[in-house]
Amino acid sequence: MALVHDTMGRTSQLASPPPEVNAVQHLTDRVVVSKIAPTKVAILGAGRGGSALLDLLHQIPSIEIVGITDRDLRAPGIQRAKDLGIPVVAQAEELVSHDGINLIMDVTGDPSMERFVHANKRPEAEVLSGPASRVLWELAQHEAKLQAELFHAEKLAGIGSFATGIAHDINNPLQLIMGLAENLADEKDLDTIHEQAREIIGAVRRTSAICRDLTQYARRKSDSGETMVYLNGRLDEALKIARYAVSFHDITVLKEYQQGAVAKGNADELLHAFVNLITNAVHAMDHGGGMLTLATAISDGGVTVQITDTGCGIPKEMLGQIYEPFFTTKEPGKGTGLGLYNVKTIVTKMHGKIAVKSRVDHGTTFTITFPPVPEAPS
Amino acid sequence: MNEFTSGFFMGDKETNGRVLVVDDEADIRKVVRMTLQKAGYDVLEAENGEKAIETINAGENRLLLDVVICDIRMPKINGVEAIAYFRSNYPRVPVIVLTGFPDTEMATSMLRQGVVDYLVKPVEGEKLREAVSRAMEQRELAHL
Repeated sequence: MALVHDTMGRTSQLASPPPEVNAVQHLTDRVVVSKIAPTKVAILGAGRGGSALLDLLHQIPSIEIVGITDRDLRAPGIQRAKDLGIPVVAQAEELVSHDGINLIMDVTGDPSMERFVHANKRPEAEVLSGPASRVLWELAQHEAKLQAELFHAEKLAGIGSFATGIAHDINNPLQLIMGLAENLADEKDLDTIHEQAREIIGAVRRTSAICRDLTQYARRKSDSGETMVYLNGRLDEALKIARYAVSFHDITVLKEYQQGAVAKGNADELLHAFVNLITNAVHAMDHGGGMLTLATAISDGGVTVQITDTGCGIPKEMLGQIYEPFFTTKEPGKGTGLGLYNVKTIVTKMHGKIAVKSRVDHGTTFTITFPPVPEAPS
Repeated sequence: MNEFTSGFFMGDKETNGRVLVVDDEADIRKVVRMTLQKAGYDVLEAENGEKAIETINAGENRLLLDVVICDIRMPKINGVEAIAYFRSNYPRVPVIVLTGFPDTEMATSMLRQGVVDYLVKPVEGEKLREAVSRAMEQRELAHL
């Protein structure tokens, strides 16, 4: 789709772009998108429709949501807007007549609203209302459902690779339990009996912890609740989960955590993202081992998480593709190609940015930056 | 340290044979040692493939090591590499795999390489002793 701007900064669509523009755009699609002025959208109605639109539209860089309004300030979309930092406008009239708005999306479902909007809007603003807007927000809701399904599918696909680690971590304590129990059957020394009984209890505890960790990780969360996420704790948890997926033999783990590193977002999704990045890092060091560094840091610009490996690195020509869905360098059946795509989606949803630096045969660093959390405990 | 005690040289202490247990988990080495010592075997331990190769090449072990029990998933030199080394340098020493992962492909490939048994943890003491005893018989046949 080609977008053009007039001198007023307004954006409109060209039905068919001139051929030379088309060619350039094809090559530099991302650059073009980031340079154009965003389409300014106002959302009327903060019920299910407004919430679904907020969730979808705020992820799209070429769209700016200038505000949302609803008669009922307790509507779910109002809180969601506050969480996302999107202005909540008390008076519909004020929002509708806002300067520079390109599109007004009316999802109130109230037929009288349409007349109100047309009476109050600026002439250049387009209006989407009635069944059209309903179809649109239902699509947005559907898209959110699909995205959640995709996350879950990729997570479950990843858990398949945990089989070796789980078998190792369950069967080793079971062997210990078997050996000790066999010994206890004819052990006479009371001190030894007590000591070995305690060892069996410890081994059972370790084994049951594995099931607890993994069922927690695998569960499907329907609610996309945002909370304060303690990044250091999440990284530790992710490290524990990743140990089932990949072998950490010959890998030194270095933690450089800054106390109080927090970000706002979904803790389960972020855990999933960290597990992906850590397992990738360890895979990159498959041959000959290396060092995995997990770091967090707080600065004025936000909170950063860095995951660094000293592995094989990513060739320069592939760096542009790594976040694309279904892009994988693994052999068929080994990777879904959705890992980094999902990592990026999760980070973007949390208003974070992800960057990668890599040198072939030297290693790779993924840096995630989250905006500062104002009420973060120091 | 009883690494260099053997029935052949220590007249007062007869053993049924010398077994090297290679596993990165100390707990596993401990219970395998307990299980085998009860059947009169002399047990040596190594925590990875590298240490196992060092042990088999050390002093009298070159001649007196009877059986190797080896895990697969280990740091440094892993089980697959260590077993390949044992098979090519000490073909007369039977190797038993004792692993946490039931993997048919791996088992087939190991048995093809001359491993005498592929046991999946947890294995009962009796089964382990039987496997070692069978391996000892093969070792004796190889000596004839």
